[in-house]
Amino acid sequence: MPYARARHHDGHTRLRRRNRLRNKTKDLDQIDKDLKEGSDQLLNQEVDLDKPGFAQHYCLHCAKYYINQRALDDHFKTKVHKRRMKALENDPYTHEEAEKAAGHGSFDKTPAKRKMETQPSKDEYSCGKRVKVDYFTQEELNSKKRKSLNSSKVTEEQEMHE
Amino acid sequence: MRIETCYFCSSKVYPGHGMLFVRNDCKQFRFCRKKCRKAFQRKKNPRKAKWTKAYRKLAGKELTIDPAFEFEKKRNAPVKYDRELWTKTVSAIRKINEIKERREKHFVMERLRTGTQREIHMDIRDVQKNIALIRAPEGIRKKDTEKLDVTMEDEEEEIVYMPAKEMEKKLAAGIMDVEMQKIKN
Repeated sequence: MPYARARHHDGHTRLRRRNRLRNKTKDLDQIDKDLKEGSDQLLNQEVDLDKPGFAQHYCLHCAKYYINQRALDDHFKTKVHKRRMKALENDPYTHEEAEKAAGHGSFDKTPAKRKMETQPSKDEYSCGKRVKVDYFTQEELNSKKRKSLNSSKVTEEQEMHE
Repeated sequence: MRIETCYFCSSKVYPGHGMLFVRNDCKQFRFCRKKCRKAFQRKKNPRKAKWTKAYRKLAGKELTIDPAFEFEKKRNAPVKYDRELWTKTVSAIRKINEIKERREKHFVMERLRTGTQREIHMDIRDVQKNIALIRAPEGIRKKDTEKLDVTMEDEEEEIVYMPAKEMEKKLAAGIMDVEMQKIKN
């Protein structure tokens, strides 16, 4: 029985195909807009037979359709989803920021941080929970820093004991 | 004519150079070269790529806030030609650029200076911690001197602190020997 050819040296063909314009996926600023304005519409889509899972299981943060609830729940636990949530924590990058960085106007430091939470499940949604994009207050950020500092101190102490 | 800025690296894009990408929601993205366009296609974050201006400013490597940055502005209304105004603005541009450059350089030099000071501090601490490698600890020294001679006990070894670079220079010039003899005497 002939074996499939071992593909160890593909080159960058697949990467190139993924980045082709026809395969373009939503950018972070578009997703940010979805989270702020279009979350209700995207979470309650009408049945569309052309989309995976008839467009009933959509991840807002990753802008992707899943075939059933189980696949969507599994996706929420993955690194891909968590990484995307982390990337969305900061305010999206804009052309204005690029211009400020080039020296047209003063560049205000550090983009504002937001709280990111995975979208509500269908039960939670029916109970009235909605997608929100809230900014961290200065106090919350300070307490977060303190916590991380304390945890690092604890680990150092543990190392010293060992 | 307008000199645009690159979306990714914030460099200048002169007319006829780079490319403009218009997304299907009519938003425009200008890129200075293929490198920047590809990085955008791969959804890289300009704040995290170390070669972009956004990264350098965020990381505090360059001057960010200064009144000298406020002069250059985008103006969409055309101004009627006036020779006097034109000559004045050209001379002002030169002056402002000079000031801006000077301030940026000053900022960078200040930043680097703290680094060298820290290095010197760390060197001194390093010597203080590992002094045993240069001078024997007190207990061992006493034993040795007792064995050799009782009269040697009173003599304290003198330590002269000197920057390593200067020492090297002096060693090369041969001046060091004379100084060492002075100290011994």
